[in-house]
Amino acid sequence: MNYDLLRLTAGAVVTIGLYTVLFRENKFYRFCEHMFLGLASGWTMVALWTETLQTNWWEKMIGTDRAPGAWAYALLLPIGLMAYLVFSKKHNWISRIPIGIILGLWSGQQIQVWFNTYGPQISASMKPILPTTWESFIVPSATGLSPEATAAIRQNVYPSQAITNFLFVLTLLCVLSYFLFSFDVKNRVLKNATTLGRYLLMIGFGAIFGSTVMMRFTLLIDRMYFLWWEWLREAVFNIR
Amino acid sequence: MSIGERLQSIPRWGVYLMLILVTSVPLFLPIRVPNKPVESTIDLYAALMELPTDKPVLIASDWTKSTRGESQGQFNSIMRILMRRGINVVFYSTGDPQAPRVYQDSMRVLNEERAVAGEPPYERWNNWVSVGFFAGSEAATNGIANDLRGAFRGRKDFAPGRGLIDVFESPVMRGITKVQDFPVLLVITGSKTSNITVERVSGKTPLAFAVTGVMTPETQVFYQSKQIVGFAGGLKGLYDLETLMEVGINTDNPNTVKSEKYGSIPGFPGQKNDGQGTRYYPTLHFAMALMILMVVLGNVGLLLTKSKGRR
Repeated sequence: MNYDLLRLTAGAVVTIGLYTVLFRENKFYRFCEHMFLGLASGWTMVALWTETLQTNWWEKMIGTDRAPGAWAYALLLPIGLMAYLVFSKKHNWISRIPIGIILGLWSGQQIQVWFNTYGPQISASMKPILPTTWESFIVPSATGLSPEATAAIRQNVYPSQAITNFLFVLTLLCVLSYFLFSFDVKNRVLKNATTLGRYLLMIGFGAIFGSTVMMRFTLLIDRMYFLWWEWLREAVFNIR
Repeated sequence: MSIGERLQSIPRWGVYLMLILVTSVPLFLPIRVPNKPVESTIDLYAALMELPTDKPVLIASDWTKSTRGESQGQFNSIMRILMRRGINVVFYSTGDPQAPRVYQDSMRVLNEERAVAGEPPYERWNNWVSVGFFAGSEAATNGIANDLRGAFRGRKDFAPGRGLIDVFESPVMRGITKVQDFPVLLVITGSKTSNITVERVSGKTPLAFAVTGVMTPETQVFYQSKQIVGFAGGLKGLYDLETLMEVGINTDNPNTVKSEKYGSIPGFPGQKNDGQGTRYYPTLHFAMALMILMVVLGNVGLLLTKSKGRR
């Protein structure tokens, strides 16, 4: 048995083992699950040392043949170890020190994070809802036109674009109005807007769920391809 | 038991059996689904094809075998484009400790494919370099965005015949001092590291993503607000990418993809462009059809039972 066949067979056995839970909870499934967890944990521990702690802390502290070490990095160790005092009833207050440092760093960055994430989205939401031209209902084709003519077309807002933008802005406002929880909504227009916002959210969630389901199906298809094609056909029966 | 009750109590093993059948049998059939690539993938393809060839691309490869069905195909397609254009690549990962091993394995497989096609190998160290895994995606991405040299300091990769050497000595990293030196930061991810990249790197260098179906709706928001130049979302995005690689944009090919945003951008006809997207996309339709059928049957069963109860 060659190495590739052995590797693929192990993969196939574990794949089938994990799918046996669909029939019922069983020991073979538990074995595969625990084996995966063990392997992943072991790999992660080694990777954390070799790829992070060694290069980002240890070598910077003790130095290498290319750069001298900096003893100040040693101070990070007790700060990190303080976090483990969370398990001590008497000294668990000490664990709040590293947590506080992390929270402080995190909070300081959130202003930039928030603006980077939502700033451009807020700006992009300001869409014109009135057409600037009635020459054509839809956006004319720019194929074969000069750059100036193309730029002129792109500057205009055509009725079809205005309708799309209106739907976007309507959706945005209705969904935002749904989250007005601070006061009792009695105004009829606002009440209808919040109801519409709720329905629009449901449509959005439906679309997101559909996309998620498609992804899960794709992962299943990939496993089936692995089992039937890569393992059984190519590795076991050697059909290429 | 009435028909309505029967429709609502199809045995679970029967449903699973049908699911296994519909996700297996079509894989063996030569079916091809017609395709009209979406704008976000057209933009991603155009961005990849318009990259300068004298600068390396930074890729955050944050996927593992858990999302192989989508991410592996996306990785392979993007790398085929970059390899054919002769663009060097710097890989890193913040998503999962297993990710560096996975992209290194994928590069080995792609090189085997190149050898079969009679193309020169894409050499580690000379054409691509692995910076490795960084724990803590937020902090690591922040470091890469603000102090690339500091973030990558001390990282080593295998140089042929020399062993582990500082990545900054690699010819790939020549002239690179900050994230802005990369013409694009590509994130191929099976998790939310794409969001973190927008949070931390946005505005410093153009961003482009390849994400799973779960992340597609969220990523669409970034695309609409022009925070990213383009993205391939899920299996559809992958199939789009493979289609574009075959027919190009506005080319002489009768099946070419038309786009008014771009001039003529060639594909790679005659080369290996088909991959997981072309292979899995028809099968996905069968699986979706089964799911719709089951939902309809369940609801019909419910209605029949209710109407019987009323009578």
